[in-house]
Amino acid sequence: MVSDSIANVSIPVASSNPRDFGKKKRANRAAKLKQCKLDARREQWLSQGKNKGSKQELNGGGEACEQGMQVTNEKGQLMEKLAIKPRGEAEENGGYTNTYSDFDSPSNSPTSHTSSVLEGNYSGTNFTGGSSSSSSSSSGGCYSVSMSEEDNEGDDDCLDDWEAVADALAATDKEQEQHNSSLDSPPEVHMSFQLEVSDGKVPAMDTSQQNPKGRGTIPGFPVSFRAWRPDDEFRPQSLPNLSKQYTFPMNSERHYRGGSVWGCKSAAIPTSCPICCEDLDFTDTSFLPCPCGFRLCLFCHKKILEEDGRCPACRKQYKHDTVGGETTKDAGGLMFQVARSCSMISRS
Amino acid sequence: MYSGAPSGGIAIGGGGGGRGRGGGRTWPSTTSVSTSGKRIQKEMTELSSEAPPDCAAGPKGDNLYHWVATLFGPPGTPYKGGIFFLDITFPFDYPFKPPKVVFKTRIYHCNVDPSGNVSLDILTENWSPALTISKVLLALRSMFTNPETYKPVVPGIAHLYLGDKAKHDEIAAQWTLRFAR
Repeated sequence: MVSDSIANVSIPVASSNPRDFGKKKRANRAAKLKQCKLDARREQWLSQGKNKGSKQELNGGGEACEQGMQVTNEKGQLMEKLAIKPRGEAEENGGYTNTYSDFDSPSNSPTSHTSSVLEGNYSGTNFTGGSSSSSSSSSGGCYSVSMSEEDNEGDDDCLDDWEAVADALAATDKEQEQHNSSLDSPPEVHMSFQLEVSDGKVPAMDTSQQNPKGRGTIPGFPVSFRAWRPDDEFRPQSLPNLSKQYTFPMNSERHYRGGSVWGCKSAAIPTSCPICCEDLDFTDTSFLPCPCGFRLCLFCHKKILEEDGRCPACRKQYKHDTVGGETTKDAGGLMFQVARSCSMISRS
Repeated sequence: MYSGAPSGGIAIGGGGGGRGRGGGRTWPSTTSVSTSGKRIQKEMTELSSEAPPDCAAGPKGDNLYHWVATLFGPPGTPYKGGIFFLDITFPFDYPFKPPKVVFKTRIYHCNVDPSGNVSLDILTENWSPALTISKVLLALRSMFTNPETYKPVVPGIAHLYLGDKAKHDEIAAQWTLRFAR
């Protein structure tokens, strides 16, 4: 099937070394783009016969994609097996071992995991992404779906690897990557949103519709889910700085629960200075001059210091000596910062 | 800083930008997009999308720094039914300095002097750059319902308000009927 090849292309991303990965990745991205388009088309009105036709189209069009596939085909399969193993273990926790781990196809995991979630047996890996939302009550359907998707996507080692590689990449050829991803990632993001939303709205669809498709849909998830990672989501906007990345999971949860997907994108930290309305750069974003959490750009801060030197929000006198300390503290304690940004939201 | 960059300014209500620059230095250059310009422009778009209740404000002509605001006398006050016009002038270093607000419509209120100057703490010593015109308008609106009688600019009105509120309200309603309709 079409997406089989794509899965093989996208998974080895984690295992190949950063150098040639750079080249491959570009090819992969092209392939992913195509995959997205294909998926969308298929979602709408494609039969299996047409699917085959489009597969040929894909293979014919993207030779680079094929290359990457051939080189790393074995690895990819290995990875797939690896991805399945922990799932089996997780199911053991849920008590579903014997029935489900026998099937070697990933299509089984949604059902098994939704059921295990309903039982309340969370395994550690399942829980990484969604732990924050578990405390607040959301609809069970949505939640379990998100978990199962995470699992479908593969084990977490794979993801971590991928992230590590992405980081290394970002370090080596930042600019190109930046540019590429800013061009390439939006479709992916969109794709993922579509999937997530549709799943969230109709939880029943998840098990009934995706299972028959089996390998057809589910290997597509690695592509789409990756778009939810902070570094992918935020690259198009600006440099991925730490603060933004760390506030992202919170944001994504909100998207998920609120239903409006694009609504609150920049809620966490103001993107522009509330005083002068200029965009905040990285220095400004990590600049927290007042314990009340009010952020402003350095320019405005300096101007206020020249005059009465009081914080615009709480009207307390700025302390000159804490300014430097606050910034370093800020860079170190991210939780600190997140808490601050939360308070900003609730107030404004 | 303000004299440069004549392009990129806004021309609200048409008429071109010549008037602002030719009109002496009563206000900074109309057309520069400075710190204050950008901020005021943003406030303008915000106000047009979501204005506070019974308030309206916007630039007078093509000058971003000179606004006209309208306040409707809130029901339950002697100012009910009145429409009060205000002039708002932004200083060139606006968010750091408060805007100047003047009542153009006569009003019988202990915090508005006969020439229309408002004595409101957030417009003087308690101004904060984080405040916006929309918040100022809200404060003015609440001033209608709760006059600040401890630091009045017209002590006579404040005394009357504290001593004989019915009489005060009657006079205020008369003024509203006479000047603000």
